[in-house]
Order: sequence, then C-alpha cells, then structure tokens
Amino acid sequence: MKLPRSLQGRLLVLVLGLVVGAWLVTAALTWIDVRHELDELLDSHLAQAAALLVVQQTGEIEDDHRVDAPTLHRYAPKVAFQVFHEGRLALRSSNAPAEPMLGFEGRVADGFKTVEIGGTTWRVFATRGRERDVQVFVGEQVESRNSILWAVLRSSLGPMLFAVPLLALAAWWAVRQGVAPLRLLGRALAHRSPDALQPIAVNGAPSEMAPMLEALNGLFRRISDLLESERRFTADAAHELRTPIAGIRAQAQVALGATADAERSRALQATLQGCDRATRLIEQLLTLARLESGEEHALVAVDLSALARQVVAEVAPQALSKQQVIEVIAGNPCTVQGDATLLSVLVRNLVDNAIRYSPAGATVKIGVSSEQGAVRLSVEDSGPGMSEADMKRVGERFFRVIGSGQDGSGLGWSIARRIAAVHRAVLRVAKSDLLGGLSVEVRFLDEEVA
Amino acid sequence: MRVLLAEDDPLLGDGLRAGLRQLGFLVDWVRDGEAAERELRAESYAAAVLDLGLPLKDGLEVLASIRRAGVTLPVLVLTARDAIPDRVRGLDVGADDYVVKPVDLNELAARLRALVRRAHGQPHERLCVQDVTLDPAARSVAQAGVPVPLSAREFDLLHALMLNAGRVLSREQLEQHLYSWGQEVESNAIEVHVHHLRRKLGNALIQTVRGVGYVLARDLPTSS
Repeated sequence: MKLPRSLQGRLLVLVLGLVVGAWLVTAALTWIDVRHELDELLDSHLAQAAALLVVQQTGEIEDDHRVDAPTLHRYAPKVAFQVFHEGRLALRSSNAPAEPMLGFEGRVADGFKTVEIGGTTWRVFATRGRERDVQVFVGEQVESRNSILWAVLRSSLGPMLFAVPLLALAAWWAVRQGVAPLRLLGRALAHRSPDALQPIAVNGAPSEMAPMLEALNGLFRRISDLLESERRFTADAAHELRTPIAGIRAQAQVALGATADAERSRALQATLQGCDRATRLIEQLLTLARLESGEEHALVAVDLSALARQVVAEVAPQALSKQQVIEVIAGNPCTVQGDATLLSVLVRNLVDNAIRYSPAGATVKIGVSSEQGAVRLSVEDSGPGMSEADMKRVGERFFRVIGSGQDGSGLGWSIARRIAAVHRAVLRVAKSDLLGGLSVEVRFLDEEVA
Repeated sequence: MRVLLAEDDPLLGDGLRAGLRQLGFLVDWVRDGEAAERELRAESYAAAVLDLGLPLKDGLEVLASIRRAGVTLPVLVLTARDAIPDRVRGLDVGADDYVVKPVDLNELAARLRALVRRAHGQPHERLCVQDVTLDPAARSVAQAGVPVPLSAREFDLLHALMLNAGRVLSREQLEQHLYSWGQEVESNAIEVHVHHLRRKLGNALIQTVRGVGYVLARDLPTSS
C-alpha cells in the first residue's frame, strides 16, 4: 500500500490503521476466548442434563415415550434429548428427531460431538446409562451458541464500531493540530517576498523542525550574502561607469558647440577615447561578474611558460612604445592545472599594469619557474612601486592608486585576484628586490605535492 | 563668471572645462581635493563644481572644511554617487546643488548661473539695474530695451558689477572675475573695460570710488 504524500494523511492512515488493527485483533482474541468459555459452560450444562436423564432411568422404560417437556424458557426448544434402551428409542424431547442423534450401532458413543441433523448443526453429548444398554443423547443447536457468542461480542465490542469513526475524527483533529507548525511555516514561506531573507525564528518551533529551520536560515543567509555582493557590485559598477559616460557626453557636447575645427576634432578624439575606456571598463566588469558568479571552470594542464611568452608577445609593442625593456624568463615548460583563457587574462593584467604604471625607459621582467613542484609566476618592474598601505588595499574592487596619472578602474587587480583564487593560487604584492619597483608573485600550489 | 572645477577624471574634466568655456564661463580646473581646497580658500570664484571622489582629499571633506572656514560661494556637487543618503549628506555638509553624472553641459551652466544669482540675492533670471538689463543665459545686454553689443570681458565685468550692485568691487576682485589662470592681465585692463562700458552704456551707470574700486548704483531700477 502506498501512503499518502501529505504528512497529515500519512499520520492519519497509520494511526487509524493501527487502531482498527488492534481492535480486530482484540475482537478475534475475545471471540476465541468467549467461545471457549461458552462451550465449556454449555457443554457442562449438556452433561448435567444428560446426568439428570440418566438418573431418571431407574424406572421402567417405555418405548418411544415422547415427553412434552414444558417450554420453561425461550431457549428450551433449542435443546433436545433422546434416551435409547436396547437400541430402541425410549424417551425423547418433542423437538428431538426419532433417529439417534449419533449413530451407535455396535458400539456406544460417549462424549461430545458436533453433527449435522436435518440441516441444523447440533452439539451433542452422548453418555451411557447405568445399565449398559441405555444410551442418552442431549443436543443443543450450535446456532444458539453462536447467537449467544455474537450477543456477547456485540455488547463488548459493538461500541468500538461507533468509536472508530469518532476516533478517526479525533485522530484527524489531533494530527492536524500536530502538524499545524508545518502548515504555518509553509504559509509564512509562501507569503514571503523574494527579497525577504531575514531568518525564521527558531524559538518556539517544535524541536523536530529546528534542524530544518536552521538549515533554511543558513540558506537564507547565504542567499542574502550573495544578493548583497551582487547589489554592491551593481552599485559600484554603475558608479564607476557614470564618470566615463559623463566624460563622453561632455566631450560630445563640446564638439557640437565648437566653433573652430581644431577644437571640434580635439573633442571628438576625446569622445572616442572615452568610448574606448568605457568599453574596457565594461569588459572588465563582465569578466569580474563572470568570475564572481561562482561558475565552475574546467581546469586542464596548461604550460604557463608558453602562455606567458604568448601574452607578452601581444603586449610588448605597448612597452616598446614607452621605450621600456620587457623580458621573459620562462625557458622550461611549467605545467599548472588551469583555464588557459583566464590565465591569459591574469598574465595580461599583471604585465599591462607593470607597463602602464612604470615610466618610460623602465624594465619589466616576467618569470615563470618551478620550485619543488610549485609553479611560480612573477611580474616585476622598476616603476614607482606602491606604498605599504596601497599594497594592502590592492585587489579591493575599484581601488586604485591615487595620483598615478593612469585612468585605470582598479578592476584589473580584482580580476587578477579572482583568477588566482579560481586556480587556488596565492597572489602576493611586494616591493621588487630585483628592480626596485613592484613585484607581483602568483604561486600555484601543485595538487599532487600538496 | 569664473568657476572652479574640481574633477580628477582627465576626460570629464577636460570636457567640462571646454564646455563651460564655450558657454561663457571662465574655468579653473584642479584634479585633487587639496588643490581644490587651496584654490577655494585663496581665490574668489563665483561658484565651484566639485566632484566627490577626489584624490588626496574627498570632496565632502573639502566642502566641510571651506564651509567651516567661512567660504560661502555656491558649490555644485557633481558626482557618480546617486544614493539618497549620499545626496542628503552632500547637501547637509554645505552643497548648494547636487548633480549626478552624467550631466548636460547646458543644464550644468544653467544651474551654476542660478546658484550665483541666488547667492547674490537676485530672484530673477535677468539682472536689472537702472535701465540696463543683463541676461546671463543668453549673454546679452539691453539698455532701455535696445540691445547693446558687448565683448566677452565687458559682459563679464558688467555681470560682476550688476550681481554686486550697490557694493564696491576693487580692481583685484574684478580681475579675479575676469581672468582664469594663465591668462595675462594687462595692468590697466579693468580701466579700459570700464571705459568701454561707459562709452556704450553711458557715464552714469558705473561710478568710480577713488582708491577703492567701482560700483553700480542700485538707483533708478527699471522693470524688465
């Protein structure tokens, strides 16, 4: 049998099933017990009656003497007796058949027996008289015994039949009361607006519900943290995008209002520059949003040395135009488990930062090496470096070093840190001992070693 | 009208300076909070446009600091922070207007003119002294209903005098109204411009207070 899906239905079916089952078992046991007792009682009465008849057989026994025993009790017709003498019927009650209740040719029956006589079941007690040729039968209709049994059962178990519906109703009410906290919780949750993430009060809830409520509250907390970070991100992004867009707008308006060609063309150039900047910012924001969405990245074996050489080849013209010396020290293949696209972004961000924030003629060194199985990527420059306080704040979203003269958004650092985190790598910013400027080190922990 | 622009973003700062200049303002541009505070304390500007996210010193700190020092010039805060609490704080600290980026240059100019006008107790958009009417938005001047063509400097000089009608302005104060940084001030420039104005609008309008400066009498105001 399949239980209903509702807890209430489930409890109700189980409780009522058990009650009815227990009741049926009780009824069955009572039936057996009462029948046993009744049989014993009535059998003893039959035996008693038979004994009386035997005692009476002291006098002359006439043949087929039908005794019209007065009906002293409404039950009397259900009891019959026969007395045989020398195989012939000597005495019988008016309701007794002429034939012997039990066949006794050749031998004398003795004791109790249940027989079928003329379509009626009889319980018959047979005994011998004092003389060996006297046979006494006392019978009772089994049907009458059954009716007594039923009457006893009816009176003792009957009330239960009425009690079961009442019990069902009571159980339904009790179960409903019992699961009320669940229903209340369901209703409270259903009426929540999507952004209502305050915890549900655990105090006062049934103890069985506490683990579930705590789990729910934990989920609410995590979702609310996630939403909060999304909200902050959106606010930061909007804030950060407003300035370049304001710049584009102002420059475009200047171009419109310009009277001289030189002025107009200068403003239009600035407008384009602003568009490029906004585009870069949006790309960075999208990269960061994707990184922060917690999406899983498939990590495969990537040769970081080859990747670093390739990225530097792409950005080298930028350095050369500033007369900077850019150098890659990545001879041996160094394999890390990573996402090649993200690693390219990481290396590009770090190298791009080094080039942009270092003056003309500076040196930028990119190194990839493997030490005891741990791969290390380093980007060092001979630029102005960073103050201790700034080094600590680097990587906070939209934090940028003031007065650098560069129009970066500070997002590059956040992205680099996020990418490092995705690869379970550690990003460290320090003063470069080698070149005097900034040194950024990304250390990839080798999973096989760790 | 000479205004100070404090904005650290090179592109936006450049755009605002160029745009406001096109609309007849004299613009001095600083890129950090400390420079903004120094300029606002030292020089006399008609108004200031202040970004909040300034390097070295936050715009709100600059504002609070100059207000404590008794600098009353109208300050328009121009910022990317658009949350209500930011606006409220900005206005409470002493901003006269709060504008969220991006802003239309014409609107910015109009807001600045309105701020300056109200700062001088002038309820009307046009300034009227005696029979002379000056429209700061259109940069036009009329006398007894007849348009009078003025050069940019003459207009700025008259604008300053009319805003401060009834008050004597020294030659230095007038020079500060007329020239932004890097513009060379000829030694007798103010006298020359006053002379031209008197020729165009009549001798009675601008009066000389010897050894002190010039004043525009509030007398005989005419309705616009």
